Amino acid sequence: MNPIVEMQKVTKLYRGVPAIRDVDFDLRPGEIHALLGENGAGKSTLTKIMAGVVDASAGRMLYRGQPTQFATPSEALNAGIAMVFQETSLVPSMTVAQNLYLGTERFLNRLRGIYISAQQFLQSLNFPVDPTATVASLGAAKRQMVEIARAVHHNAAVIIFDEPTATLTPEEKRHFFALMRRLKQRGVSIVFISHALEEALAHADRITILRDGERIVTDDTAAFDRDKIIRAMVGRSLSTELYKARRTAGEVRPRGEKVLSVQDISMGNVVRNNSFSIYDGQITGVFGLIGSGRTETFKIVAGIYKRDFLHGGEVELRGRTVRYLVPAPAVRDGIVYVTEDRKSEGFFETMSIAENLYSGLLAAGLEKVAYVSRREMRSLAGEWTETLNIRAINENARVIELSGGNQQRVVIGKGLVQRPRVVIFDEPTRGVDVGAIAEIHRVINKLADDGLAVVVISSYLPEIMNLSDRILVCRQGRIVEEFAPEDATEEKIMYAAVH
Amino acid sequence: MFGGLLDRVRGKAVTIPPLDGPLRANTAIDDAPALCEATAPDDLAFDGTSFLFSSGDTVQALPADGTGAPVPVARFDVAVTALAGAADGSVAVALDDGRIMIRGGARDGLALAPSDVGGLACPTALAFAGDGALLVCQGAAGRRPSDWVVDLMEKGASGSVWRIDLAAGRAARLAGDLAFPYGVLADAPGGGIVVAESWRHRLVRVPASGGAPVPVLARLPGYPARLAPAADGGAWLCLFAPRNRLIEFVLQEDAYRADMMRDVARPYWIAPALSSGSSFLEPLQCGGVKTMGIHKPWSPSRSYGLLVRLDRNLRPVASFHSRANGRRHGVTGAIERDGRVLVAAKGGSAILSLAAPS
Repeated sequence: MNPIVEMQKVTKLYRGVPAIRDVDFDLRPGEIHALLGENGAGKSTLTKIMAGVVDASAGRMLYRGQPTQFATPSEALNAGIAMVFQETSLVPSMTVAQNLYLGTERFLNRLRGIYISAQQFLQSLNFPVDPTATVASLGAAKRQMVEIARAVHHNAAVIIFDEPTATLTPEEKRHFFALMRRLKQRGVSIVFISHALEEALAHADRITILRDGERIVTDDTAAFDRDKIIRAMVGRSLSTELYKARRTAGEVRPRGEKVLSVQDISMGNVVRNNSFSIYDGQITGVFGLIGSGRTETFKIVAGIYKRDFLHGGEVELRGRTVRYLVPAPAVRDGIVYVTEDRKSEGFFETMSIAENLYSGLLAAGLEKVAYVSRREMRSLAGEWTETLNIRAINENARVIELSGGNQQRVVIGKGLVQRPRVVIFDEPTRGVDVGAIAEIHRVINKLADDGLAVVVISSYLPEIMNLSDRILVCRQGRIVEEFAPEDATEEKIMYAAVH
Repeated sequence: MFGGLLDRVRGKAVTIPPLDGPLRANTAIDDAPALCEATAPDDLAFDGTSFLFSSGDTVQALPADGTGAPVPVARFDVAVTALAGAADGSVAVALDDGRIMIRGGARDGLALAPSDVGGLACPTALAFAGDGALLVCQGAAGRRPSDWVVDLMEKGASGSVWRIDLAAGRAARLAGDLAFPYGVLADAPGGGIVVAESWRHRLVRVPASGGAPVPVLARLPGYPARLAPAADGGAWLCLFAPRNRLIEFVLQEDAYRADMMRDVARPYWIAPALSSGSSFLEPLQCGGVKTMGIHKPWSPSRSYGLLVRLDRNLRPVASFHSRANGRRHGVTGAIERDGRVLVAAKGGSAILSLAAPS
């Protein structure tokens, strides 16, 4: 069978540094092809060349057997190649229906007609989205659905999905994969980028793995298992290292001094009489479903949110009652919160790595500085880039240009330069590839080994069970259960979180 | 800085320490084997040959090996409120009307009426000191021990600790103005005696010769009851009920509390309890949460079972729980001997046996 898209020896250079190098890739008609790799492996670059977002520096692309180079994404779309981006490209001030028909409007449009046909179309995809709602009012998952619907609506022959399921609930994912199978039956070819290896194993026909900008392997899905994929992605087996069996009593770090005592803390209906303690030298894992109040609780502790004014509870830091109205005094007292939403809260995206790290130091107010010292900034960046193994094309690269894993390392570094005594990691490995996960886990473990009090908030149970010395479960705004790692099972934790 | 002033306007915020760290919740008390079922067993003692426990107006003996049915050894006309055993085999028994009786040993048959011991009329805990003197906690002046909930609701602080020289028949008050002392540890680690002050949720140290009490363990998450020495030099602390937000709130609302005490039957007050959930008239089981018929173990409740092991510095090192959905609530007494800890769950109506941690 002739491939519908074929990439031959494609190379893309950014400022002289190759993002991908001599990559061969082919996509067959009517197949689902998973593209896997660590953050920074070159997956997005390869697919962006296919979709006309960036030009290749060398090599060529064949589309339906013809050498092709798209100048713009709309040119690729008109030719039948659509890309669904991880960061949605919708117009927030327009309605869902208007976004669906954007670029394909007739000369005279009847809004009611657009809404009716958009409603029918969304229903056919099983996406519960109101076509009359403005995109700005939608949550991340529904925006992703609209983005997917727009690609399908253009009747593309090739659709590229970049991390389509990251924000979807399990039910929505089920609908999404059913849709993907329907598209395949209609002969649509799909490139599917995901960090969830199980999704690739369950739904793809073939898998291609990239590492450090090079193609490592392409084969039928049946030839892969989880461990083989990870080995190909990172060059070593991380499966057991990352999520091994639960920890035994002997592996748990002993409890140090009580550093933080949170008592009956409340904030509206989100955090309700929440009480718990945090100890030095241990990793306290906090599990809870979205909306359980775990993030909000720790944001109160870190001074990002304010507790209720009346009877809002109490936070004691080493026996001293503290109440932070802004984060700065919390940071000065050694409490650092590493955000789950790195793009909007974690870094200054147009600044370099060094500037971001230095801004963390300045924000801590630990040193009185009269001017910005470039030399100190460079030395700080050098130290932390090495410590956290931050990889960038060059040292002046803006953080927005880094891969997800490296961005997360910058966010962590920005917190750690503040010399914390209590570090709160909120979803530290969300949207990060397996290689970076292992390194972030190593950093977290080292902090606890060094005697710091570490909190890890995560929705991913294997991560909680693998990292934690004690596990707290949050439900409806309060900690309802505590488990020792040797007693905890996924079923017990989930039961406490849900029931 | 202005907290005290603001509290007059907004009400004083009361927070309850969490049950975590060494107090991490478990089901050890519910899982422990029951040596026997008995009606509201209250206190435990050892007379040199067998374990004794009080149940209502009766003192019963458990066989030394812990097997077989308990045998009544003494019956009184009022409820027994505390027990203590001495090395010479004598046993002190305190009664709800304030009398203290000695059975066995050198002073067998000695009976002390409140008038004999300076008006000491509300004995809640007993312990023999090393020199043979009897230490007595008086929960509240002018009340019976069974009126403890009234004393809590009226925020009483008229308790005291006494030392009775049995040979001379003299009683000396060691400390006063205590908020319901409910447990006493003679010859405590660190010197002096240690007293559990229930309504202030703390343990205090009192000099053996008397003097001002000094807190040694404060901000407990429940109401402390009896103390017992542990084999490793530490101690066992019983907490007979949990603190919860609703009760703390009621304790701040004087007018509401007065109305409740006047108009509502005592078992249904919003107050700590030794057991709960047996009547639909109870005040919502104080926030008891049920989902699909399952009582959540973490729900705030009126009653709870909690036994805490303290180290030589009287710091908690381990704990044993019967949680909100458990049955063995209201732990009021414990005793350790030969690697076993016997626990009296007054609300759970059972004597339980735990393996003493090494």
